[in-house]
Amino acid sequence: MLGLIQILVPLLAGLIGAVWVGSRFRLMQRSGMVGAILGGLAGGLGSLIFMAPLDFCTFEPERNLIDAVFGVGLVLVGMAIPLGPLLGWTRQAYHRHLGMKNTVPQQKGIFKQWWLAWLFLLPTLTILVLFLYYPGLDTFRLSTLLTFVGAPRTRFVCVDNFTGLLTDSTYLRSIGITFAISAAIIIFGLAGSLLIATLAYQPIRGAAIYRILLIWPYAISPAVAGIIFFIMFNPLGGVANYLLGLVGIPRLNWLSDPNLAPWVVIFASIWKQMGYNILFYIAGLQNLPKDLQEAAAIDGAGAFRRFLAITVPLLSPITFFLVITNMTYAFFDIFGTIDLLTAGGPSGSTSVLIYEIYKIGVSSGNLGKAAAQSIVLFLMVVGLTLIQFRTTERNVTYGG
Amino acid sequence: MNTRRTFLAVAAGLVAASGAAFWAADSFAQSPADVKVWIAFTDNRLDWAREKAAEFNKQFPQYNVTVEGYGNYEEIQQATDLAIQQNAAPSVVQWFEVGTQRARDFGYFKSIADALGERTEVNGIPVNFDDFIQPVVSYYTLEGEFTSMPWNSSSPILYSNTGILEKAGIDTPPATWQEVEAACEKIMALPDAPQGCITWPNHGWFYEQWMAQQNAVLANNENGRAARATELFLDSEPSVAIASWWQSMEDKGYYVYSGRQRDWAATEQAIQTGTVAMAITSSADAANITNAAKENNIDIVTTRMPYNAETGWTGNLIGGASLWLVKDLPTEVEDGALSFMLWLNNTENAAEWHQVTGYLPIRESSVELLESQGWFEENPNFYTASDQINNSTVTTATRGALLGSFPQTRDVITQTMENLMLQGGDPAQAMAQANQQANQLLAEYNSLYN
Repeated sequence: MLGLIQILVPLLAGLIGAVWVGSRFRLMQRSGMVGAILGGLAGGLGSLIFMAPLDFCTFEPERNLIDAVFGVGLVLVGMAIPLGPLLGWTRQAYHRHLGMKNTVPQQKGIFKQWWLAWLFLLPTLTILVLFLYYPGLDTFRLSTLLTFVGAPRTRFVCVDNFTGLLTDSTYLRSIGITFAISAAIIIFGLAGSLLIATLAYQPIRGAAIYRILLIWPYAISPAVAGIIFFIMFNPLGGVANYLLGLVGIPRLNWLSDPNLAPWVVIFASIWKQMGYNILFYIAGLQNLPKDLQEAAAIDGAGAFRRFLAITVPLLSPITFFLVITNMTYAFFDIFGTIDLLTAGGPSGSTSVLIYEIYKIGVSSGNLGKAAAQSIVLFLMVVGLTLIQFRTTERNVTYGG
Repeated sequence: MNTRRTFLAVAAGLVAASGAAFWAADSFAQSPADVKVWIAFTDNRLDWAREKAAEFNKQFPQYNVTVEGYGNYEEIQQATDLAIQQNAAPSVVQWFEVGTQRARDFGYFKSIADALGERTEVNGIPVNFDDFIQPVVSYYTLEGEFTSMPWNSSSPILYSNTGILEKAGIDTPPATWQEVEAACEKIMALPDAPQGCITWPNHGWFYEQWMAQQNAVLANNENGRAARATELFLDSEPSVAIASWWQSMEDKGYYVYSGRQRDWAATEQAIQTGTVAMAITSSADAANITNAAKENNIDIVTTRMPYNAETGWTGNLIGGASLWLVKDLPTEVEDGALSFMLWLNNTENAAEWHQVTGYLPIRESSVELLESQGWFEENPNFYTASDQINNSTVTTATRGALLGSFPQTRDVITQTMENLMLQGGDPAQAMAQANQQANQLLAEYNSLYN
């Protein structure tokens, strides 16, 4: 069924694409007509990427404003998918036109037959398609449905699963909790790891043994870490309260106090990941050039000054790498720890986004909502990683 | 010529082979019909069910019943969904009581009444539903039809540490909320007071029981039994009364909250180690708790679940699960499944199941059998649940609600109670908010089936 909106949206999108790419082509002193046609096609078809499967439901008259705004966003993202590469190509072509050489050297193919390369890639691609891309795309399909695990009936709900998140107070609170817990894990975790790694790097007898002991916790699964901390911070028989008692501090309800429980989760997660961080930092420290340290020492810089001014900046590539891996860890992997330590409680104070998805998808069996939330979480992490690459990488010095 | 002879020989060989195959297939058909039973237990209850299956297979060699255990009720639901999608469905599935409406909506199951038809016995095992105790019959009768086979029905009861109660000068365990409070005041004033006075898991089941006790319905359309429920009453007066009392018990330091939702283990642990003086939990733990406490030199006595004296006691509803028959089974398998379910619930087996676990003896004749054996006199702790259920008046409220979104509603209630206890707040306001949330979940669920 073709309504007004089904024609209007791709037409408008095509027009924007045509004007944009057309003017670029003019700038390159090529045929503006060809550019306009290419741009028009890219914009028009791009707008359909999300809208065709959704059947333009976001613009139906009975939908509210949020849905329409969300729909416009989807149209723009859809347009960007084919237009982005096209505009990128015109920029390169423009630079070539100005006489600049393409700086990327063309690599020579090793495989003489093009099909041989694909043949070798086939097993990997099959597995990727079956277990990664297909389930990934299916998540998009599920996110537009009201569907429960095993329930034979489903209902198409357009983008309600996404727009509903904007007014879901539990979910919005969960975002804040996730960022707070993740930031704490990354900042305290990396600072602590660097400190311990520096100490462990000191050349003393038996260093190899205690370095291995330091890395040990990494071999424990997040779930086991959860159980260990659950026992340690048990308000009645746990060792944490016993130790506090020795110094005269009264019992604390670690796991049932909404203000304390997140810290237990943070502590457990840091402890679990520390071995991994220490491993990389020790490796990094071993590769630091000695002459800079010596020169600084001769110039009279103290150990602390040398650490801050030389060691930390030189370790920045490793820190950058660890920030990314720890972020993924904090967003996705602490699920097992939380499940066994606090189960998202008390009062939702440790219910991070990934745990929220588990609760909705598995406990309540609401697959549609869980799919929408996992897409949002995925995009958040991708976005954060991109931002970090853009901002942090400028301050990272890879040169040795 | 030669090729032709070879061809003929091959053809003759094929005919002979297929004949043999048919004969073999025929003899396979004579082998016992496989009846697969899935239950949501992995502990001694699974062992018991397996022993019973072996006994059944010996008595009825035409069937081969196998029992498979799953982690919990939710897990078994999902496993069933998957198995049905993959055409590898079991014959009988244990399904928890709050999933009843879902079981109906999903359409995987055939009602027991349908499967039985006019028959009054299957393989010589009599069908005698009149013998089942009333609350069990009424819970699993939908639209006047026996839908699933009751098996493990339980009821929440009060477990009291007699030592502590005596020390505080309390002769009989409290029967009402008000008496619980008074008892707690005395107990916590003891010089060697326990760490808390009373505990129960933060689980929707207890809330539902207190609603039923006050004869208050959870949902409209006669608790969802006259027609599909469309509206919940979590903001009703009896509901707010529960939340207020629960919160005040916590505020006064009488109620001990482990900080985790649905924490059955903490409750069990607390009562059997003397950490608290009283606990409310399922009668299904009667055996475990009584025995474990004895090892710690603690005497436990069980009494009925305390009720709100201001609104009186109408009755308690049953908990636990029932056995559902999967539809579209071959006749032989279906008969085997029916036979096993009826046999598993016969007078002797129902009595034994009760003795092993503490679940209710669900047949009148089982209760009589146990009485004649002097079981209840020797084990008074096991009698409480039967007594409580048998004295319940069957009303719309005590028959229990049917809601498609029941599991989520329970989540909303436990979360609301947790917030009230840990962060404070006004119970009436919190329950109003919970009601709004639960209504939305119910509307969402219903939109699939209207």
